[in-house]
Formats: sequence, C-alpha cells, structure tokens
Amino acid sequence: MTEYRMCKRCVMDTSDPEITFDKNGVCNHCHTYDRLVREHIVDGEAGRQRLEKLVADIKRAGQGKQYDCVIGVSGGVDSTYVAYLVKKLGLRPLALHLDNGWDSELAVKNIEETLKRLEIDLYTEVLDWEEFRDIQSAFLKASTPDSEIPTDHAIVAILGNMAAKLGVKYILIGNNVRTETHLPSAWSEGHFDWKYIRELHKRFGTRPLKTFPHFGFFTYYMRMITQKRIAILDYVHYTKKEALRVLQEELGWRYYGGKHYESIYTRFYQGYILPVKFGYDKRRCHLSSLICSGEMTREQALEELEIPTYSPSMQEEDREYVAKKLGFSDEEFNTVMNAPKRSYWDYPSYGHFMEQPIIQAMIPSVKKVMALFQ
Amino acid sequence: MIRPRVIPALLLRGQGLVKTVKFKEPKYLGDPINIVRIFNDKEVDELVLLDITATPENRGPQFDLLKNITSEAFIPLAYGGGIRSMNDVRKLLSIGIEKLIMNTSAVENPSLIRETADHAGSQAAVVSIDVKKGLLGKYEVFTHCGQKKTWLDPVKHAVEMEKMGAGEIIINSIDRDGTMQGYDVELVRKVADSVQVPVVACGGAGNLFDVSEVIKQGHASAAAAGSIFVFQGPLRGVLISYPTPKELKEFI
Ligand SMILES: [Zn+2]
Repeated sequence: MTEYRMCKRCVMDTSDPEITFDKNGVCNHCHTYDRLVREHIVDGEAGRQRLEKLVADIKRAGQGKQYDCVIGVSGGVDSTYVAYLVKKLGLRPLALHLDNGWDSELAVKNIEETLKRLEIDLYTEVLDWEEFRDIQSAFLKASTPDSEIPTDHAIVAILGNMAAKLGVKYILIGNNVRTETHLPSAWSEGHFDWKYIRELHKRFGTRPLKTFPHFGFFTYYMRMITQKRIAILDYVHYTKKEALRVLQEELGWRYYGGKHYESIYTRFYQGYILPVKFGYDKRRCHLSSLICSGEMTREQALEELEIPTYSPSMQEEDREYVAKKLGFSDEEFNTVMNAPKRSYWDYPSYGHFMEQPIIQAMIPSVKKVMALFQ
Repeated sequence: MIRPRVIPALLLRGQGLVKTVKFKEPKYLGDPINIVRIFNDKEVDELVLLDITATPENRGPQFDLLKNITSEAFIPLAYGGGIRSMNDVRKLLSIGIEKLIMNTSAVENPSLIRETADHAGSQAAVVSIDVKKGLLGKYEVFTHCGQKKTWLDPVKHAVEMEKMGAGEIIINSIDRDGTMQGYDVELVRKVADSVQVPVVACGGAGNLFDVSEVIKQGHASAAAAGSIFVFQGPLRGVLISYPTPKELKEFI
C-alpha cells in the first residue's frame, strides 16, 4: 500500500493509483493541465481571431445545408453553454440528446427551455431500455470503475452518425480543458473502445446487443479524418461561474447540484458507487481543474470535499430507484458493491491490441498519415 | 372554479412506452418508470397509461411492471389494457391504480363496469371509446386497439356505459391520434352533451390552444394528449414536457 499523498497545488491524491508527483509535490495532472492550456487555449486578440476563423470555416462547410453543425445536449452546464454559444456565434446547430433512461425532470426541463429560447431543433436518440439496462448491469457486475462508458460511447456514436447522415462536418462538444482535465485514466478508460464494451457485455450481459449505438476501430479513425470534433469552450474564456450566471439569467436554466447530476444514474454512480466501492471522489478532479483555472482556491476545494457528495437521504432514495430500474434485489446490489475491484485492463479491449509491439511501431507513421487529412 | 384537467396519455407496448399516429407507427419513447417519474416531478394533474398490446395479444395487465410504475407516481394514475375480470380490477387497485379504463371489455362484458363501480365507486370505472369516421362520415366505435369494428354508435354507447355505472368517458379519435391537428371537437361535443358524467377528449392535440378549444367548444371536462407532452420541435425530438401552472392558467 502506497502512502497517502495529496498534490500541493490541486486536491488530487493517491486515490488515483497512477498519480505521480514532481519534486515540489505537484501532480502529473497539474502538469497535463498546464500543457493542455498552453497548447489549446489562446487568449486575447489571437483567441478572438481563432474563434472567428472557426466560425467562418463552419459556416462555409455548412453552406446550403439545413444545419452547419451538431451539438449534444444533456441539460447540464457545459452542453447548454455550447448551445448558447453557437447560437450567439450565428451558427445553425442541430441539437442531439441521448436518452438513456435516466434523465431527471430538471434535465429535460433545462433542455426544453434552452432549446425553445434559442430556437434550436432537437433530435433525440432513445436507447432501447431493455438492452441498455443489460449493458449497465453488466458493467456493474464487471466491477470496473467506469460504468458511464456505455453512455459516453453512445453519445460519441450518435453525434458522429448524425453528422454523417446530414453531411455535416463539425461536431461541437462541451469537453474543455479548464474544467475537466484532472480526470485520471485509471478511473475511467476506454470511452472509444467498442471492443471493451462488447466483450464485457458478452461476459456479464444476458441478451444480445442489437440497437446500441456504437462505432468500431475503423469508423473511429475514418471519422477523425472526415469529421471535426471541436471543443469550442476552449475557444472562449469559459468559466463555470459566468456560464451559470448566463444560463440562469438568460435561458431560464436551473441548477441541479454536482457536475453531471442532471442524470439520476450519474448522480448515484459518482456520488455513491464510486466513493463507496472504489474510494474515488470524482469531485476531486473537477475541483482540481477549477483550482488550476483560478476559479477557486485549494482551501475552498478542501472545504467542499468535507461535505458529503450529496445528501445521504437522497443517496438512499437513488439506491432504491437504481436497484428497481436495473432489476437488482437488495442482495444482488450488495453482491455488486462487495465484488472485487477490476479495471479496464482485466478485459479484452483495443487497448491490449494497441499495446502489441508491431502496432506500437506503426503508430508514428499512422499519425503522420492522419495529419495529412487534418 | 376548478381548472379542467390536462392529462398526459401514455401508451405501453411490451415493456416500453410508444407514441402512435392513427394507432399505427409506434415510435419508441423509452422506459415507462423514468418517464412516469418525470411527469410525477412535473406535478401533472393525472396520468393515463394504456397497454395497447394487451388485448390484441389476448393477455391481462403486466402487474409487476405496473407496480414499479405506480411506486414512482404520487399523482392519480388511470390504467387501461387487458382488464377482463374483477380479479384484474382488485389487483390493479391494490397496487395503487386509481382508475380502471375499459375499452374492449366495456363492449364485450359491460357488467364489469357495473361491478367495478359497485366495488370501487363510479369514479374508478372509466370507459374509453375509440372512434373512427367511416366512409360516409359516420362515427363508429372500435375495440381491440382500433383493430375491430363494432358497428356501435359512440353517443349511444357512451349513454349506455353511463347507465352501467361508468363515472367517466374517454373519447379517443383514431383519425386524429398523433396527428397534432386538433381534437375532433364535434365528436367530443356530441358525446359530452349526451351524458352527465365527465368526458375526457383524446386524440389530436397539437398545442394548448387545441386543449382549450376542446374544453370550451367541445364541452369536455378534461383533455388528454400524447404528442405535445413527449415530442419537441419539428423533428419530434423525444422530450418529456408539461405546461407550468402559469401556462395552464393562461390557456385553460
Ligand atoms: Zn495537482
């Protein structure tokens, strides 16, 4: 057992099994943050020009088409702010929502209000619940700390599928450097890895996968070439505080508590299963990013971590609801909670494939070819 | 004065909810448990849930699923689909269904209406009447989820059902279902003016103006609707919504 340690700059600690510290006690995530900010964030006049060029490119590529870009909407802060931003920039987005059966009333209300006010069309992909329930149950039984991967994978798939169907080149996503860089890969790995999802489901699922939106290795790389996924929040001075103000004042949007708590499952997964079973408090990485971006102090973050992830009575309510939806008895749920912890690397995946020496040797040349298409 | 009720009507097909157009082309909406939970959180007046494949598949209600659904709803829940006996009625009441909606049974075994009313009060015995316009513009009653023609006249049938003890009549226009082109106001008024019990209009709502019209012009006591509460925008993106108390007050 390694000794407990926390980063001197942020609040990441040894609950990330792969964390490393430099001689000043600053963690690898902070260094990644600094590098990504350097590489991706352009401020001031240069930033304005970069945004202008992006908007011009999107408009040009979308000429004569009904929509010039697609965006995902979840009802949460980041995705709603993307919707607000693209409209303000004069773009013509189509909004996509993935309904995985766990939307809260707040989430659907936020989507309804903001899209109506912004006059953005909505397309919803509703996952077949019987099938998706089987996938989610399989992930819980597999005991990896990444049960949100199927949802994340499906979102990427439907955005890519819709863009392809509409002939739209640009997918604008809410991911951003400033508020979500500190996520350890050990906590959640393989979002783009269909083989991992499929194989894990094969072991722990009970019914065939027929309709789940996904993409394989080849499609993923083809789409890297033909489509552009743009983290547009990195193109503006994005802060949580300002985003919350704008959304609440201008869009009638309502806050729901923690990050991604707009989904009941996510709330329960991040607020209960991860801390209780795996010892991961996901707030640590979100708060750490906010410390690095200057939105809060380390003291404020430490104070916030003292508070429970969310109210224990609501956790209990959610636990009953999740068990009911997934069809778990109390006993089955306890079995899941007590099962030995596993990781992404315990199951077949593209990750294993990528580690083969011959593939490793090919990566640099593949990257060069890919660069030609960018 | 009490505001007329505005009721989301949800269609159960197998384990999932769907929305149809003219009783056809079922579009999948998702898991009923979560959708009912969202409507519950929106504090809707009440909910109508119809299992549209129960009678065509010649089976009864899915009690286990319904139990999971009622445990998420603290609003009045009306259920229809495959109710064929007093045993079904009692079981549904025991899991928290407040109103029993009968359609095929009301035609084939009307005494079940009487027994239900005697057992649980007439407010619990609801008859729904699915109506289609014939070639000559005559209204005709259908059962088995729109698949079987009965040659009954909806007005006469409604009057008959009221006599049997039905405490509420739902008039559902098959021709307007899912079209969002407005209720069949004429049909609703004909029935509403012929019976004393509350009549709920269903089928065709495209917006809250339609809802208001069928109440004012069609003399309906309440309006049920599907599409406007489950779709948003021109692409019919699936999204659960319900007007705020303020919006309801303004329109209705
Ligand atoms: Zn750090």
